[in-house]
Amino acid sequence: MSNSSSALKIGPRIVIALVVAGLSGVIFMLTLIEFDHLTSTEEFCTTCHSMELAAVPYRESSHYNPASGVRASCGDCHVSEGVLTATFDHVMGTKDLLRQIFGPKYDNPVVNLLHLPDAAFAAREWFNDRNSATCMRCHVKEAIIGKRTDTLKVHQEDAKGKGCVECHINLVHRKVPGEKTFKRDGWNRMVEEEFNLETGMAEKILRGDVEAPAVE
Amino acid sequence: MGFAASFCLLLFSHSLFAAKVTLDSSNWGLEAGKECVKCHSKTSAGLADQWRDSKHAEVGMNCLDCHQAESSEPDAIEHEGFTIATIVSPKDCGRCHQQEEEQNSSSVHANAVSLIKNRMPAMAGNLGGEAIIAVGCAQCHGSEVKVKGDGTLDTATWPNSGIGRINPDGSKGSCTSCHGRHRFSKAQARDPSSCMRCHSGPDSPDRAIYEASKHGMAFFAHRDKMNLDADSWVAGKDYNSAPTCTTCHMGAAGKLPSTHDVGIRNAWNLNTPVSEKQTLVIFEDGDKLEIPASQPMPGRGSEMTKIDGSLGKIKMVVPADRRRKAMRLVCLECHGKGFAEGFMSQFDSAVELYNEKFGKPAQAIMSALYEKGLLTPAPFDEPVEFTYWELWHDEGARARHGAAMGSPNHAWWEGLYLVSRNFYSRFLPQIKEVAGKDGETLIKQYVTDVEEHHGWLSKPQAGNPILGFGQGKQSNE
Repeated sequence: MSNSSSALKIGPRIVIALVVAGLSGVIFMLTLIEFDHLTSTEEFCTTCHSMELAAVPYRESSHYNPASGVRASCGDCHVSEGVLTATFDHVMGTKDLLRQIFGPKYDNPVVNLLHLPDAAFAAREWFNDRNSATCMRCHVKEAIIGKRTDTLKVHQEDAKGKGCVECHINLVHRKVPGEKTFKRDGWNRMVEEEFNLETGMAEKILRGDVEAPAVE
Repeated sequence: MGFAASFCLLLFSHSLFAAKVTLDSSNWGLEAGKECVKCHSKTSAGLADQWRDSKHAEVGMNCLDCHQAESSEPDAIEHEGFTIATIVSPKDCGRCHQQEEEQNSSSVHANAVSLIKNRMPAMAGNLGGEAIIAVGCAQCHGSEVKVKGDGTLDTATWPNSGIGRINPDGSKGSCTSCHGRHRFSKAQARDPSSCMRCHSGPDSPDRAIYEASKHGMAFFAHRDKMNLDADSWVAGKDYNSAPTCTTCHMGAAGKLPSTHDVGIRNAWNLNTPVSEKQTLVIFEDGDKLEIPASQPMPGRGSEMTKIDGSLGKIKMVVPADRRRKAMRLVCLECHGKGFAEGFMSQFDSAVELYNEKFGKPAQAIMSALYEKGLLTPAPFDEPVEFTYWELWHDEGARARHGAAMGSPNHAWWEGLYLVSRNFYSRFLPQIKEVAGKDGETLIKQYVTDVEEHHGWLSKPQAGNPILGFGQGKQSNE
């Protein structure tokens, strides 16, 4: 008996090590949670000017100004639930940061708008891959009554098994067509018209042949 | 090809009734479209119900059959997993209704935008503005629908039901102008009310003219016997109570087949400063062109500039009297030959009177003033230009339409009486005011010296009691 008890004997060092490790773990997790929270806010996201451009239409949308006052932050929609998946999304999100630093000049509204469809398509794919899980943090399909006659029925019958973003796009950010019917040519002409650019400039800017002009 | 042959072609190249759809029924009733119906029965019950009430639904067609689109089409959008287009263009309808689409696409209806494109900037552009063109001119003539870079239809150009609408797929026209959208009703298109949406108002008061005519009178009294819903709708066979707009301008009557080319039976152009009989030129590619009968008749096989400015090879030339004969065939289903000819003769004489007495002199004086630089080239910056415009475009057209379709009131009080009042009491004084001596010379040349029409002006002593002349004297006696 005495032999076996000596083999299991836990000394004060081990206890301290375990406590320290446990506490570190807790602190690490708390830090991650705090980090995820902090990096999901509008304030944090819009520290990049390119994101500020995406935030302008967001601030006009019903997700920013719903009658209920329940405001969805950037991360509420674009970062997954749960500390591990949220952290993973943030790590993956650093590619946006790398692009901001090393890629095209997204801070320029012309460049930003020219690239917006790609961003929209990627975001829609992200939502659809997750079956619009982040939408459902707030929206419960079974409870969508709506104001029109058959909204409840449509959501229970016709939208059964479908993710929100399969039907609802262009709710928050600037309108971008579906990827399948997107016409790059038409989009480029629209950008040129909007910023008073010569026809063909959009392609040149996208190819990097010319700098996008500075615009407000 | 001789005239007789071309007449035959005009008459018999189309089948007697609305063409049978030749496409095999396996081409419609798309399985995926049933999904659309399920959801739209809830989200837009009104239009789903209209569709359910349609012939289209009866034969098994659903939303996707008409709204399906290739993703490469300019106005294609992704909608709940389907690639569709909001606008169902004549080209889309033509997938099944080929003959109707062909007839319509070369008609004056389909060209309603091209026909006024040059004039519109000076009229609704300068006097109004883009916003009014969108809700006014373009709602009848048609807009040029633009697809924005973000895939949406430009709201400056859509919604639009104009009959000459230029669609994103390049096709011209809008079948729904007359047939409506989801019910797509034959009866609606046959009913005069579908034409009246646009053919009303000061310049083309056909609504009021029809209502005031014997034809209109008969229609409203016997509407229930008009058989408007029938598959076959041949005047004299399937109905005989009254003709509607469609009957005379498009409908089948006796041996005359129906057509979706609305202007094909019109011998005159009644909406010009001076009316001219018109020759119909038909090109190899099916496009058509109206030219004044006073112009030399172009030869078959020769080339001519089309409405859109491109060059076309002429396949056939149909003179005005052949077109009149086609129209007269409709009359003959209910009237005797002599009656029909008498009516046409009264109509022609009224148009010629307008032409000779007012249309031609007013036009000649205006041209001379522009030539002499006494009027600025810009239209509508001088009062006499409004006077002249209303003289032929509003009152003059009203008089001629009134004569064409049998409304006495529009022929005279709303028509030629107003032309006359306008001409003598506004137009001529304004000409004198703007052009002084030159104006007086022109008036002498084109008006007062023309004894036949204006000789009464040189007889101021010819009294008449209509305004009380001589009546005071009688009462004093």
